[in-house]
Formats: sequence, structure tokens, C-alpha cells
Amino acid sequence: MSFFRITLHRSAIGLPERTRGVLQALGLRRRMQTVFHPAEPQFAGMIMKVKELVRVQEVERRLSKGEVKAERTPEKGFYVERAVRRM
Amino acid sequence: MFGPFRATNPLSGGLLWKIPWRLSKFQKRRHRLRLRAVDSVVATLDTALAKRGQTLEAIERWKAEMPTEEEMLPKDKYTMFDRKEKKYRKGIHKLPKWTRVSQRINPPGY
Repeated sequence: MSFFRITLHRSAIGLPERTRGVLQALGLRRRMQTVFHPAEPQFAGMIMKVKELVRVQEVERRLSKGEVKAERTPEKGFYVERAVRRM
Repeated sequence: MFGPFRATNPLSGGLLWKIPWRLSKFQKRRHRLRLRAVDSVVATLDTALAKRGQTLEAIERWKAEMPTEEEMLPKDKYTMFDRKEKKYRKGIHKLPKWTRVSQRINPPGY
């Protein structure tokens, strides 16, 4: 069972009501929001309607909201890229 | 010459059309990347459904009718048909919402 990982990349401001309705039906409300839907023709058809606005990947399982956020979060702390000689 | 009532192009009557008639090379590159992004979305959907042995009419139609970014002629990538223009072509950036709609094919012969 695979899923479509759909991220809204471009906003639908100013686009027809039908297009915005499709995004709402997919559960996409704001840019860079990610949702998961089963890889079925029903959802593929919805993605085809908004293919200019979204980025799609096929993934094996549905990630939780926290896991998606963890992917985007940088590691904590800092590191020194290059030691600078002190004068 | 100076001051609020100077004779600048917009003030001296007539329309000053500020939209360039052609795309810059940077606009063209971003446009190509957008075309490729749409192609990759369609390809992802197609392979995902093909794995399950399913297909979709919308995808089949898209594949049959629409050229991919590599297959498109530069003429079709950056300009589009317009019956009111000289030589029947205008820049694709004159199309409303042109970065978020697919405009790939033009009437045959134009």
C-alpha cells in the first residue's frame, strides 16, 4: 500500500473556485503543507487537477505530522566550519 | 525639465507598455523548471498507478496530447498563439497566471 505525499508548493490565490475546491478536498490549506493520500486513481485525478501547484512523491507509509516536521528541522547546536587562527 | 509636471513618457500621453515583449533568460529558465516540475508530477502519478495495474483517463490524455519539456519547441515554450498579434504570436508571460497554468500546445500551422 503506497501513498502520495503531496506538498502544496504554489498558492492558489486568484485561481478558479474549482481549483481551490480541489485543494480543499485534498486537505491543503497553506503553502508547504504536506498531506498523505493512498495511491489510487481517485486521488491521482485530484492531483492532476492541481499538478502545477503541488509536488508529489510516492512513499510507502503515511508519516505523522511530527515526522514531517522533524525532516525539516535542522540539528540542534552548532559546529565550527573552519578554525580561524587568532591574531 | 524637472519638477512634478516634467514631460516624462507616461505623462506625455499615450500608453507606456511596461511589460517586456519577450522573456528574459532567467524567466525562461524558471519557466523550463516549472514545466519539468509538472512533467515529474505526471510521471510520478503514472508510475504509481502502473505499479498497481491501474490507469487514469486524465493521465492517458495528458501523455497523448501534451509534449514534455524536452519535446517542446522553444517557440511553443516561450510564446503562444494570439489571433490579434502580428505574426500570430505573443509572449507566454502575457497569459494571466502564466506561472500556474499549463499552456503547451498551439493551433497547428501557427
